[in-house]
Amino acid sequence: MDSLPNGNSAAASPPQNTTPAAAGGTTPFPKLTQLTEALKLEHQFLRVPFEHYKKTIRTNHRAVEKEITSVISNVADVSDSENFSKDDAVNHLTSLVSRLQGLKRKLEEGSRTEHLQAQKCRARLNHLESADAENLAEWNNTRVKRILVDYMLRMSYYETAEKLAESSNIQDLVDIEVFQEAKKVIDALQNKEVAPALAWCSDNKSRLKKSKSKFEFQLRLQEFIELVRGENNLRAITYARKYLAPWGATHMKELQRVMATLAFKSNTECTTYKALFEPKQWDFLVDQFKQEFCKLYGMTLEPLLNIYLQAGLSALNTPYCYEDDCTKEDPLSQESFRKLASPLPYSKQHHSKLVCYITKELMDTENPPQVLPNGYVYSTKALEEMAKKNNGKITCPRTGLMPSPLMLAYRALINNTVVLTCHQNSLVVYSRASWTL
Amino acid sequence: MELNDIKDAFDRVAKKQKLSCSKTQEVIDLIVQEIEKALETVKSASHLDDKYVLTELKRRLQDIAPLGQLEGTQKELNIALSKYTKILEKSFNPDISKAYRNIEFDTHTVSQIIASHFYRQGLFEVGDCFISETKESECSAAILSIFEDMYQILEAMKSGNLEPALKWAAANSDKLTQNGSDLQLKLHSLQFVEILRKGSREEALKYARANLAPFASNHVNEIQKLMACLIWARKLESCPYPQLVSQTNWVTVAEELTRQFCNLVGQSYESPLSVTIAAGVQALPPLLKFMTVMAGKKQEWQSMKQLPVPVELDKEFQFHSIFVCPVSKEQTSDDNPPMIMSCGHVLCRQSINKMSKNHSRTFKCPYCPSDIDAAQCRQLYF
Repeated sequence: MDSLPNGNSAAASPPQNTTPAAAGGTTPFPKLTQLTEALKLEHQFLRVPFEHYKKTIRTNHRAVEKEITSVISNVADVSDSENFSKDDAVNHLTSLVSRLQGLKRKLEEGSRTEHLQAQKCRARLNHLESADAENLAEWNNTRVKRILVDYMLRMSYYETAEKLAESSNIQDLVDIEVFQEAKKVIDALQNKEVAPALAWCSDNKSRLKKSKSKFEFQLRLQEFIELVRGENNLRAITYARKYLAPWGATHMKELQRVMATLAFKSNTECTTYKALFEPKQWDFLVDQFKQEFCKLYGMTLEPLLNIYLQAGLSALNTPYCYEDDCTKEDPLSQESFRKLASPLPYSKQHHSKLVCYITKELMDTENPPQVLPNGYVYSTKALEEMAKKNNGKITCPRTGLMPSPLMLAYRALINNTVVLTCHQNSLVVYSRASWTL
Repeated sequence: MELNDIKDAFDRVAKKQKLSCSKTQEVIDLIVQEIEKALETVKSASHLDDKYVLTELKRRLQDIAPLGQLEGTQKELNIALSKYTKILEKSFNPDISKAYRNIEFDTHTVSQIIASHFYRQGLFEVGDCFISETKESECSAAILSIFEDMYQILEAMKSGNLEPALKWAAANSDKLTQNGSDLQLKLHSLQFVEILRKGSREEALKYARANLAPFASNHVNEIQKLMACLIWARKLESCPYPQLVSQTNWVTVAEELTRQFCNLVGQSYESPLSVTIAAGVQALPPLLKFMTVMAGKKQEWQSMKQLPVPVELDKEFQFHSIFVCPVSKEQTSDDNPPMIMSCGHVLCRQSINKMSKNHSRTFKCPYCPSDIDAAQCRQLYF
């Protein structure tokens, strides 16, 4: 912090030339660091289309591998088999050739899709690059829209997401297709079908395994429960042997608990097992899926909107926001924002910043604060305006006090750097040292 | 963070992908070639035994080992892919939810906020769609109608029609003057210039007499400049007051109208959602930085009354005065207000109490050598 000058503050430091440019003006450098910090928050923005791109590459390559392997083993089979005619051989080989031609076409198509997805990744990099001082307001506006589209997609408001993306042409900057994929699984789960979810698990088997996910296990458990609910106990047991047993090593306790449902009917009153039969379990599966999905694509678990809102509300949160005369420009003057902010901590600042009660402007070197004899503080600009409009008289808007010229001989030092004096009939400011807030 | 490095890393990925693709095509072609060769041999009535041909084919294919050939390019591609992932993780903050408190936001409140935001930004269709998808009833009907009016006026202005704007300004003329806004005059000036642009000096003069005259007493200079423009009717480009006649003036006036409109209906100028998000963008970096230090203490984080690190926002987010006592470094509050001493310096009450040992003795102001009597200090109200 600033060191305390000893002795006469007038002698302490020579009066610096506080031109508006140096004092309150913003130099480009701080804005640039701020912009860089803001860009650093955009990991998800770049990661999601990239994961999508990687997935497409993987899927396409696997298809190629599978087909080639199949063709080669087909050749091996034919060459090893005993009874075939020349015609058979010809037919077989011709069909293999056409399969490979088909594969080539598919490869072409896949390549086009990959190219489009790569374009999307590039478009996002370009968008980040495009942010600069001139178009900052628009870039920030686009960011708000991106954050809102992310919220819509997470809450499954797909129509609104699309409409919003279309309205400002930001389709490349949002992840609607990725969430469409999720929608299929979510819709099915809400219809009590696990098939698409299981297919998704197998598509992403290796990565789910790496993150030690037990989502597939949970899906299998639910299928088992449904079999028990339908009183297909024998089928349930067979199912358990095939699909649940492999998970026994790592999740024995859960397995045992669910297996025990065999002993109960689905309308059991026993609380532990009643819970397992609740339709709510399906909602739980949907939530689990959403979490796994977001993790896989490098997305945050919470919607971006919530993250930014929480941080912003906390940073704006002061006890003064809840007073009746809080300015309308403060979001926390609104009931809905106050509601969201109430469980959040107050902001903390290390530097004094004074705002004029009348004009809501910052009181700094260009517009220093003045102290009336009753202790109420207003900006120089506000008091001068008031004096101009009222024949030189000023009235404290909060207390009604009308200080007479003689009473205005008061000195105030705020933050130990600027000396202010209200003199007789005019408000005069003496600036003794540089103003640093 | 060097965006160019990241772009380069991605270009490498794309390059490797293309290579992999073309190699795959190559390999498939090879296989096709071999099979077609064998096919020809079998079809032609050659002396070679069919089975022999097929076995040869099988052997040839094994020799080519197509999948093995692809391994090389695949490996390079995978390396490029993982390098890109790493550079993303290094250049960006991979988890911005680290500073998130597990507090549920009430969905209804959030929906209300979002709907209001859509309407005040003029995105009426999106807003309607949102309301129907969320099944929130007319929670924002009031906001909707207020801003519908405003956007109608603004849309008309965009297409060059000032009538709605003038009507609104006239209806609210008193309040506008109270706020110190000269919007009415500005709108009339725009209209005046448009009439001039279309060429009719007569009409412009008539308009000026009817609509600009009432403002003459307070805005002598502007009126003079406008009247001078009469000389340049039909040649407005050469008029010496370009800022009065340029099209950008319309944008400025539209902004002023928006500002005054919002003010008069008791709304903020900026969407509160945009403001909060912008504040969040500035607040997250220091909070996240703090969390990397705080890693294990998530419990404390959840229940704090005040943020543990200072978050300095830009001045457009400063709506309330904050005074930090230079001695105790604490923010003043109702319980601990700022007090001005007789020398003019300001400390918080607790500091003054401490330094005067609870008003029992005088002390020296930490900034100037004056003696301070605690009882003479008075409270400041920002």
